[in-house]
Formats: sequence, C-alpha cells, structure tokens
Amino acid sequence: MEHLLQLFLIFLKVNLLSTSGPASVGLLYHEVVGKFVTEGQFVQAVGFSSVLPGSDALQLAMYIGYAVGGIPGGLVALLASILPPTVIILGVTMILHRLRREAWISSFVEGLTPAISVLMLFTAWKIFEKGGSDGWEAWAIGLVSMAGMLSKRVPERIVIVIAGLIGVFFL
Amino acid sequence: MNRSRFMIWLRLLWMFLKVNLLSPSGPASIGLLYKEAVAKELMTETQFVEAVGFSNVLPGSEALKLAMFVGFAAGGIPGVFTALLGAILPPTLMMLLVSAVLQRFQHAGWIDGFVAGMSPAVAALIAVVAWELFRATSRKTTDRRAMLIAILSVVAFWLEIPSPLVLLGAGFLGVILYGQRSY
Repeated sequence: MEHLLQLFLIFLKVNLLSTSGPASVGLLYHEVVGKFVTEGQFVQAVGFSSVLPGSDALQLAMYIGYAVGGIPGGLVALLASILPPTVIILGVTMILHRLRREAWISSFVEGLTPAISVLMLFTAWKIFEKGGSDGWEAWAIGLVSMAGMLSKRVPERIVIVIAGLIGVFFL
Repeated sequence: MNRSRFMIWLRLLWMFLKVNLLSPSGPASIGLLYKEAVAKELMTETQFVEAVGFSNVLPGSEALKLAMFVGFAAGGIPGVFTALLGAILPPTLMMLLVSAVLQRFQHAGWIDGFVAGMSPAVAALIAVVAWELFRATSRKTTDRRAMLIAILSVVAFWLEIPSPLVLLGAGFLGVILYGQRSY
C-alpha cells in the first residue's frame, strides 16, 4: 500500500514536470532507479516503450508500475500519468480564452525544456556507464546507434532491437 | 442519445486505437493523426495546429493531450473520454504483456545480454531526443535564454541538487525570462 502511494506520487510529479514521454525519462530515472527498479529494468522499460507502438509515457508507467506492484501497481502508475494532462486539458478547454492571455504556463514550459534536455543527457551518460558491459563493444554499439538514429534512415525501434540482439549473442 | 453523435464517438475511438497501434510515440503520431482528423473533417486545420501547439506547452504525455484536444473538437467532453480510451488501451495492454513476460525471465541469462546490448542504444536514444528537444525550443525563441537555462541546469545537476527542484527552478526562470508572451 505504502509502495503504491509512493508510486502514484512519483508519476504525478514526473508527468507534471515534463511535456512528453521521452522527455520524462531523465526525471523518472532519478526517481525510480535504485528505489523501485534496477538499472537493467529501467533500460528495458525505456527500450521496450520506444519499440512498442503508442505513447511512451504510458508504457514507462505500466512497466515500472508492474515491476513494483503487479497489475495494481501498473494501474496506479497509469492513473497518476493520465491525471495531470487530463485535469489540465479539461481546464484548458473550459477556460481556453483565459489561458491564452495568461501565457505564463507556456513560458514555464519553455524554461523547463532546456533543463529537461540537460537532465536527459546526464541520464543517458549514467545509463551508458552502468550498462552492464564496458569497453569498446559498448562504445561501438552506442556510437553506431546514435549515427543510425541521427541519420533518420533507420527507425529508432529497429536500432534498439538490433542492439539488444547483438547483446544476446555477443556480450 | 443522438445517433449521429454516437457515430462520432465510435469513429473517434476507432481512430485513436488505430493511430496508437501504428505510431511508436506521441510526437510521431502527429502526422498520422493529422491525416485522420483533418482529412476526415473531424476538426479544422486551425484547430489541429492549435491543439499541437497547446500539447507542446502543457505538461504530461503528448499523445494524451493531442487525443483530448481532437476528441473535444469532434465530440465535446464525451469525445475527450472516447479519444482518451482509444489512446490509452493499445500501448498499455501491450506493455502489460511485455512486462509480465520480462518479469518472469528477469533472471535468465539472455535478458542480461539483451539489456547489456540495449543500454548503449537506449543511452544514445535519450541523448538524441534530448538534442532534438533542445533544438526545437531554441529555434522558436532567442538561443541565449535557452542556453543560459541549460548552463545553469548543468551546474545544478553537477551540484546534485534534486532534479525536480532543478526543473521547477528552470520553469520559473522561464516565466521570468520569457514573460507573458502570447503565442
């Protein structure tokens, strides 16, 4: 019960302080790794949420919630992720004109974004560092993956799956 | 209940089930959603652009916010909930299945290998998304303010200030720096 409440508050916080699933990864890492899930489980959550179709934010919530407390855990994390945008948007659709004049929310998010990017870079480095294998293999996989994703020729999910398979057979 | 309104809700549900089964993430679903929502005249072009704009500036999952805006434009408050349902079901059910399978095999050797291989790629993915996110905002406004916030955040994370505090601080700095701009 205690766990579920903590889980709920964490996902509420994460979804109030980020604008999309991928952007929430940095903050989520700091909040759950070591406390609720292992480094390896977190990598699985991010990996599979980008491989499977549909919203990443909800899938991260589902995976981590399930790992912590089975199906009830998954549902609690899901609910906490859905609430902030739903409440805000229902508010916005009702008071749309008012919000337009009070644009401080957009300024808040605009200020938030560079900090989110920096946090994501720190997180990326931490995940890389603790990734289970160090040495040239990890660097090779990381650099080739990055090149593949930046080139826009290879879909991200294909890159992630191939990297995982290389891990199964060669690492 | 009005029959034609009921049809709209049904169409919304089906549309969001489809979009969320076919696109890998929130941002990637915009193109597909545009084709479905605007081409089939569930909402106007202007409404769609407005929805995407609002989704970017409000907190929370992007896919959900878009779904709710489109749902509201096409079918009012009940439309919001049908669109939401369509957007939530496919990704979470699939992830539930994957989670259940993965938890069962958590101690199998091949999972360790899979994670070891995936870690550098996931790290690369996060870095790439971070870069794209930063570029998308700084193009809209003056680079200097975004750079200032980025540099201050680097220092703050370096000093190991808790990340929610840093993000909140960055947000408030944004309010001060960017002010009451209309968009």
